[in-house]
Amino acid sequence: MEPLLKLDNVSSFIGPFHILQGVSLVVYPGEAVVVLGRNGAGKTTTLRTIIGLIPASDGQIILDDVNISKMPPYKAVRQGIGFIPEDYGIFDFLSVEENLLVAMWQEDKASLDRRDYILDLFPDLKVSYKRLASTLSGGQRQMLSIGRALVNDIKIILIDEPSKGLAPIIVEKVRDVLLDFKEDKTIVLVEQNFEMACAVGDRFYIINEGRTVLDGAVEELYKDKELQKKHLGFVTA
Amino acid sequence: MSYISNLMHNRPAIKPGLWILIVLTAAVLLVIPPLSSLTTITLLSRIFILAIFGMSYDILRGYTGIINLGHALFFGGGTYLAGIMFSRMGPTLDVLLLAVAITLAFSAVIAYIMGQFAFRGTGFIGVIACAMITLAFGEIARHTAETLREYTQGADGLTFRVPVIFQDRVMMYYYAFLFMIIMTLILRRFVNSPTGRVMQAIRDNEQRAKFLGYDTKKYKLIALIVAGMASSLAGIMFALLTRFANTELLTVQNTLNALLYTIVGGTGTLYGAIIGTAFVQLAQNYLLELRGIHEIFSRWLLFFGAIYVLVVLYLPKGFVGAYLQFQAKRQSRKKPA
Repeated sequence: MEPLLKLDNVSSFIGPFHILQGVSLVVYPGEAVVVLGRNGAGKTTTLRTIIGLIPASDGQIILDDVNISKMPPYKAVRQGIGFIPEDYGIFDFLSVEENLLVAMWQEDKASLDRRDYILDLFPDLKVSYKRLASTLSGGQRQMLSIGRALVNDIKIILIDEPSKGLAPIIVEKVRDVLLDFKEDKTIVLVEQNFEMACAVGDRFYIINEGRTVLDGAVEELYKDKELQKKHLGFVTA
Repeated sequence: MSYISNLMHNRPAIKPGLWILIVLTAAVLLVIPPLSSLTTITLLSRIFILAIFGMSYDILRGYTGIINLGHALFFGGGTYLAGIMFSRMGPTLDVLLLAVAITLAFSAVIAYIMGQFAFRGTGFIGVIACAMITLAFGEIARHTAETLREYTQGADGLTFRVPVIFQDRVMMYYYAFLFMIIMTLILRRFVNSPTGRVMQAIRDNEQRAKFLGYDTKKYKLIALIVAGMASSLAGIMFALLTRFANTELLTVQNTLNALLYTIVGGTGTLYGAIIGTAFVQLAQNYLLELRGIHEIFSRWLLFFGAIYVLVVLYLPKGFVGAYLQFQAKRQSRKKPA
């Protein structure tokens, strides 16, 4: 099977700092890949480099046979990427409705149907539809952020730490939603919450000091306490 | 706070009560000319025209988050182009139509070029660079107008005649009023369109708009071109009203006047520019008249500055913003969130 997303030895800088120094990973259609690593390893930078927010200085990023390495963010994401950043990335001074509408690349029937599906999936958003996004709770903001990424016909979702700062009950809800998505979407998930990463992910990549150092099946990592301790700095109970 | 911001920044919701007030105000404005002096009629005509200049600035600052310090070049450019064409080709309606077409094309092209230079950076440095580059464009326009004395009469200013139908002050009042209404409706439609929504997203956070798949530079260019064209049309109307153009119209001070109208009226409200322009023009006029009463009012700018400081201190969201805030508080009391 051809990979949907392929990063081949990708490097990138933030200012003078060489953050990614050779990240390589492949994601096949329909699978959920989790990117793990210690704080500051380059996980978020990897996602931001994929969509061009941080330009790749070296290496190649191929999405569905299209080289997006040198594309500006607006072109890269229009190849079919939904990006859900760590800080939700919603527009505080727009309403929930406008946040969803502004995310649509085309305001056609298919997009509006997807919007309706999102509102059914997240009833909280339906209730707050006309409210300003800044008035939403953390969980609602996360739902809006996820919903916004799904209003377009995308090929892959990149999600950056969706459980960060959320109450356990909301984390469970987000996890369930991601598990639902797994049915028909391809996911790249950056996650510090190891339990959630293991619940959602099929395969994993570990990034350390800007390089991919290990990959494999999530199930194996979950069982291998030594690997966890060596690469992630903790051991699951 | 949320509802206020929504009203302030998204679509100013016009309540039925406000509609009645708007219609009554419009009715009063329509019957003012037969009952007022020519000075009052001219002052009100000026307010109608300058309100669109203010609104065009609100498109940039209030709806897209762009600081343009050279915005007066569109307004002054419109006045100068119309004036030069009237003085060279004659004050006819055909020439006016030609002037409108040329001015719109001129402002669109200049806005495009200005934007290509000004919108290169992002973030805080991008905002500063944009302000400096647009300031430079404005200064180039002012200097050009001063240098091309053969066409503009330099610092002396250019006096010209206008088509006969615009020579009557009362008729000009109605034209200016109609111009303000039509332009307000057009600009309102623009800011509430999908393009307007993207502009507001850029104002909130440009990087977020980028990763949603928007070429933010393109949308900022659209905002600048639309604002430039609206401003230049206001400039033509100003030419028809004053029959005079001087380089003051192109200065950064004139751009700051537009900024003042929007701040006093309420940034990001569109209609705020009408209230802000009326307040600023009426206050200036009143203070100027007071010069005859006491010598101290010859320093009227000091008093005007004090009024401005008070407005900013006590009505930081401007008059329309304060009204919307009051309305929001009333609603939240009725219907707690």
